[in-house]
Amino acid sequence: MRTATRLTGLMLRRSTDANRASLALPVVAFAVVTALTLTVLGGARFFFTIEGPTAPLYQSLAALAVTLLLIPLLTLCGSAARLSARRRDQHLSTLRLLGAPTRTITTMTVLESTVLAAAGTLLGVLGHLALAPLLGLLTFHGERLGAGHILLGVSGTLLCLVGLILMASVSALVGLRGVVVSPLGVRTRQSAPRLSWARAVAVVAALGAGMLAAQALRIDQGTLSIVVGLAVSFGLTMAVLNLVGPWVLGVVARRQVRRAGGRFTAERLLAARTVLDNPRAAWRQVSGVALTSFVAVFAGVGLAFTNVLAAGGSTPEDDLLLADLRTGIALTLVISFVTVAASVAVNQGADILERRELFTSLERIGMPLDGMDRARRLAVLSPLRVVALGSAAAAALLVLPLTGTVLLTDPLSLGTIAALLAAGIAVVWVALRATSPLLARVVADA
Amino acid sequence: MHSTVAAPPVLTAVAVAKSYGPTVALAGVSLQIAAAESVAVMGASGSGKTTLLHCLAGIIEPDAGAVTLAGPQGALRVDTLGPEGRSRLRRQHYGFVFQQGLLLPELTALENVALPLLLDGVDRHRAEAEAAHWLAQLGLTGMEERRPGQLSGGQHQRVAVARAQVGSPSVVFADEPTGALDSRTSEQVVTALLQTTTGAGRSLVVVTHDQRVAAVCDRVLELSDGLIVNEHVNRRRAA
Ligand SMILES: Nc1ncnc2c1ncn2[C@@H]1O[C@H](COP(=O)(O)OP(=O)(O)O)[C@@H](O)[C@H]1O
Ligand SMILES: [Mg+2]
Repeated sequence: MRTATRLTGLMLRRSTDANRASLALPVVAFAVVTALTLTVLGGARFFFTIEGPTAPLYQSLAALAVTLLLIPLLTLCGSAARLSARRRDQHLSTLRLLGAPTRTITTMTVLESTVLAAAGTLLGVLGHLALAPLLGLLTFHGERLGAGHILLGVSGTLLCLVGLILMASVSALVGLRGVVVSPLGVRTRQSAPRLSWARAVAVVAALGAGMLAAQALRIDQGTLSIVVGLAVSFGLTMAVLNLVGPWVLGVVARRQVRRAGGRFTAERLLAARTVLDNPRAAWRQVSGVALTSFVAVFAGVGLAFTNVLAAGGSTPEDDLLLADLRTGIALTLVISFVTVAASVAVNQGADILERRELFTSLERIGMPLDGMDRARRLAVLSPLRVVALGSAAAAALLVLPLTGTVLLTDPLSLGTIAALLAAGIAVVWVALRATSPLLARVVADA
Repeated sequence: MHSTVAAPPVLTAVAVAKSYGPTVALAGVSLQIAAAESVAVMGASGSGKTTLLHCLAGIIEPDAGAVTLAGPQGALRVDTLGPEGRSRLRRQHYGFVFQQGLLLPELTALENVALPLLLDGVDRHRAEAEAAHWLAQLGLTGMEERRPGQLSGGQHQRVAVARAQVGSPSVVFADEPTGALDSRTSEQVVTALLQTTTGAGRSLVVVTHDQRVAAVCDRVLELSDGLIVNEHVNRRRAA
């Protein structure tokens, strides 16, 4: 144990320049996850403290928002964990080759991941403290929320931190098996995994079921049951998207591989091959946007629908409720956008660090940095477009009766949806751009 | 006996020097490499072999000295080109083989070999045809659609050799191309490398630790502390 502690300390401190980036990335990722999770939970908790006839409605809406945000947050958390795992593997393979006992390796692994996660979550708490007054400016129920109502409180915060750090430690332990089994750490890639047609069938079946569920909703006009129905069909659709997403990306990428030509052939080919090589990973990277576009369509239609409701003589109480709905929807969207962008930045940063030798060799054979960057961007943005538009279409289909009504009564709201989708893609583009300097650094340092 | 100055030099280095902070990696190296000549660069670890190769290849800029390539369009000062010019130079006039091969794991063998051509704007169909030609030359017919992960170490390295040949480079640089291979596979790769370079009128500069690799090259340079301390001309192999 003491040897392991000393070695871990040594490895954390003896870091080269590029290594420092690989240290910082998981910390930053854990910080973003923590700040957002604490803030989301803190905000949601507030609605469970209110009383009155509308309380159950607010509470189910808050629960819905948390569910929406949970998936991208967990994805980001997974990226952070994988990231610290990659950094570790190198060191550990070496130690293993030198004959370090399994127990030392296990201890070191868990220790390093835990230390990185702990550092990140502590930073995240600061982020939460900084976000709270900002979000406190929001108005709910006609009143300023106030920072105090966003802050999660000591016990909740501690619980959250322990949970996140535990997740990091456990995923480190799980990820360790590969290192111990294969001390050489040789990364061999298989040919593109085949994704079965069974998925497509499953999708059609589930989509049908989802549509039936959504249609059935119209029978009961109670807002609460609409919300519950939305949550159910949402969860269902998410599950379906997760099944079909990688398959669709694979099919599209295969076509792009065949068709790559003209200007930037090399970049296009490389990007499409990257997706085809691991459609599941490509999907994971952008699936948060599947969710976001899905939400965007739901939100856009929902907002417009509430406008329609409001048009027919509303009470002041109704107006307050509608304003709160709009705020909540916008807030959920903004947070999911930020989460997706953080995920992409973290994954890309990790990818650059992991493949630095390859990028360096490409530069040496005369591939300009611009080209590498373009291929990297395409490999994310092309699946992103497919995913964003695909899930938006799926969502529109699911709430078809509502979409139809809105299209007739409030076409402007569809503009809102388009703007939200564009914003989502732009945010990811910015996140991609943000990692370009790291690529330049890694290649220059070689 | 064979004289190295008989053929006009393709690559000329004059007093090339390079330091990293206080570390002198190259202390003034001059050499000439003739067309279709193979030169092995040997020396202890840290003696400056890789640095020399990188200066000749326009990967790094030397602190002092001159590197000139007698290209198809006349003499080209490698050391004074900007980053973009050097990138183009490497793409169009040079080929590279690295110790680990460093093929793109996502691309097929064929696409990996075609990559330098595609980067240069060659039409995909033509690029892949030339790539297939070189794969066949290296005994890799039937491997075109394989990923690097599905190739043995020797096959992997021969794909890397094929990639270095496309686009008809004047000089091919190899930094310990057999460093990760067993001796039999290593021999196959070196034979392939020589056949496809000097055998096709190209020059080869190969950094190696392996006496057997050096023995089949036309000339052997030995570096020590950033200087050429020994030069040995092997008997010219039967042409
Ligand atoms: N990027 C670099 N930064 C600092 N020192 C370097 C760098 N590259 C090489 N060196 C140093 O320059 C000397 C020569 O290195 P190199 O050319 O790689 O030797 P060789 O290839 O013969 O082993 C060594 O002392 C090495 O440590
Ligand atoms: Mg070297």
